[in-house]
Amino acid sequence: MPIDDRQPSRIWDESSIHDIQEKARLGRYRIRAFSTSRALPTLEDLTFIPSGLTRVPLEGYRETCSTEITLGGRFAGKPLKLKTPITIAGMSYGALSRNAKEALGLGASAAGTSTCTGDGGMHPTDREYSQTLVYQCLPSRYGFNPHDVMRADAIEIVVGQGAKPGTGGLLLGQKVSPEIAGMRDLPDGVDQRSPCRHPDWMGPEDLAIKIEELREATDWQKPIYVKLGAARVYEDVKLAAKAGADCVVVDGMEGGTAASPDVLLDHTGIPTLAAICEAARALEDMGLTGEVQLIACGGIKSGVDAAKALALGADAVAIGTAAIIALNCNAPLWLEDYEAMGTRAGACHHCHTGRCPVGVATQDPELVKRLNVQEAAERVENFLHAMTLEMQIMARACGKSHVGNLDRDDLRALTLESALVTGIPLAGMRQPLVPQHVASLMGAL
Amino acid sequence: MGAGLTSFDCNTHTTREINSWLRQHSDASVLGETLSVVLLNPDSRHNLGVGLVKPLKILIEGPVGYYCAGLCDGIEVEIAGGAGWGLAENLMGGKVVLHGSAGSAAGATMRGGLVVIHGDAGARCGVAMKGGTLLVTGDVGVMSSFMMQKGALIIGGDADHALGDSLYEGKIYLRGEAASLGADARIAELNANDVAFLSGTFLQAGVDFSPDDFKKVESARRLYNFDTKEKEIWKQAL
Ligand code: SF4
Repeated sequence: MPIDDRQPSRIWDESSIHDIQEKARLGRYRIRAFSTSRALPTLEDLTFIPSGLTRVPLEGYRETCSTEITLGGRFAGKPLKLKTPITIAGMSYGALSRNAKEALGLGASAAGTSTCTGDGGMHPTDREYSQTLVYQCLPSRYGFNPHDVMRADAIEIVVGQGAKPGTGGLLLGQKVSPEIAGMRDLPDGVDQRSPCRHPDWMGPEDLAIKIEELREATDWQKPIYVKLGAARVYEDVKLAAKAGADCVVVDGMEGGTAASPDVLLDHTGIPTLAAICEAARALEDMGLTGEVQLIACGGIKSGVDAAKALALGADAVAIGTAAIIALNCNAPLWLEDYEAMGTRAGACHHCHTGRCPVGVATQDPELVKRLNVQEAAERVENFLHAMTLEMQIMARACGKSHVGNLDRDDLRALTLESALVTGIPLAGMRQPLVPQHVASLMGAL
Repeated sequence: MGAGLTSFDCNTHTTREINSWLRQHSDASVLGETLSVVLLNPDSRHNLGVGLVKPLKILIEGPVGYYCAGLCDGIEVEIAGGAGWGLAENLMGGKVVLHGSAGSAAGATMRGGLVVIHGDAGARCGVAMKGGTLLVTGDVGVMSSFMMQKGALIIGGDADHALGDSLYEGKIYLRGEAASLGADARIAELNANDVAFLSGTFLQAGVDFSPDDFKKVESARRLYNFDTKEKEIWKQAL
């Protein structure tokens, strides 16, 4: 190769050099927020193939296309009834500000969907502002208590999260304010590193007993979800279903976080696209499709993504990062504060610092004030509404009168990679590249 | 043990029926007048007496399985036999007494109340405790009090490896020896408050121990922050 004195090495490129020098300075792994920055096969790599002569579409802007969904009817006496299959994922008060949590609750309630407490317990306004509230039971059990179990509408046992499957949560000291520390029974300002193993159960046999405990404690009324970080999805979903979950939440590697070692974000888990397919196949193989419901999350950005997730076999989706972006995350406001953190609006991934310029991911009272709860709630409601409309547009174009009727036949893959990952035929082909029975023998699905 | 009290035979009922029956009785307890009931033939059944948040006295005449008295508040439970995993997990208040040994994770994530185990406890007893007192008259298993945040674990016998790993503000009182201490745990002297606390707890639990025979294990607090020298660095973009 000719010598170019100004051209960086492709192996030792500028970001690798910066990364090594940062670690040499810090003496530890690097920490950041948001989600993986890797290019992955995503739902964007699929396209819908709407009606033509073979199928009749519904009138795009007029005919009824339902979006209501009931979640958790497998064993729970009071399943959740939502107006849209788009829910808000678990994000803690601690990671997010109180204003952000309240706005999510109000916005989601106005849109007829659920929110989720996240780690750190149920703040009184979580319950007050969310009409339908899912209460997380995490390995940390911060703030977890039977009174809030009774107050919740559903319980989500968190085995892992997509951003960092196999590792617990992280909340750095600058966000562990006296109130957060009090709710979590931690010393003020401690760098909270949460456990990843549940304190009172280990494997799937124990999980079944734990689920029974929660059912008994709630008189079998509340749906029990099990949330998995997407890794060995096929096996994990089967085990969660066998343990008695009503719903399995599968969080792909694009899932967000407010703080994580960056190596976990970029080098653990599998993409949401692959995870949905594995999870749907697991439930199908158990004959439990529809009975155990699948909630997909991790990098869902739009109603089209949500519609594709449903077509691949999910019953509902959960959004986290998209919801906080609707709140104002990365909005072009207080630009000098982004600059002060060494970033810019549109590229910020600095929730872990506690210096969020827009008041979403901070506990600094002055910064929190920047997020107006009512206005932010309206943006969340609007965004959920827009996503729901996008789903309906896709479903109607495919001739479906309920978004839940979308299926794999409505999709084609736009890339070889996504065709192989999903088993959906490549655009221009009528059969999958790898027949499904071969794929399952290969363990590819 | 519970002669003359209202009883329920676990042998002929489902777990759901047993817990519904207990809940009815706890709902019927009124201020100042707590009802007492007896469960017969528990036969190591899992999830007995879970999710009770109103006062009730329960005598259980035999061994119980996982999570007995889990997710409860303000109850009094006495068990004539051993227990499986997660005895009284997440207890908020009240008293649970076990006449036997407990499996793993006894008193896990307790937030209040008193649990007394007249016997040994398995691995990770008192894991992630957030309050309350767990008293084990015998030995405790590996990694007991792992990530314990608040409250007290009192061990009448010995402890297996990694006692008190990653402790926060909880306290461990040990009468025997620990095979090893966990990360960031250290031995400390008892002070007057510790002695008063132990004396009161022994009286309440009806055990014949002397505080003089105990040493304390507490957090050295070196794991509270990644590295205190770098505190400012966390506030910058990384
Ligand atoms: S703008 Fe705030 S919420 Fe968004 S990435 Fe930056 S710090 Fe996090």
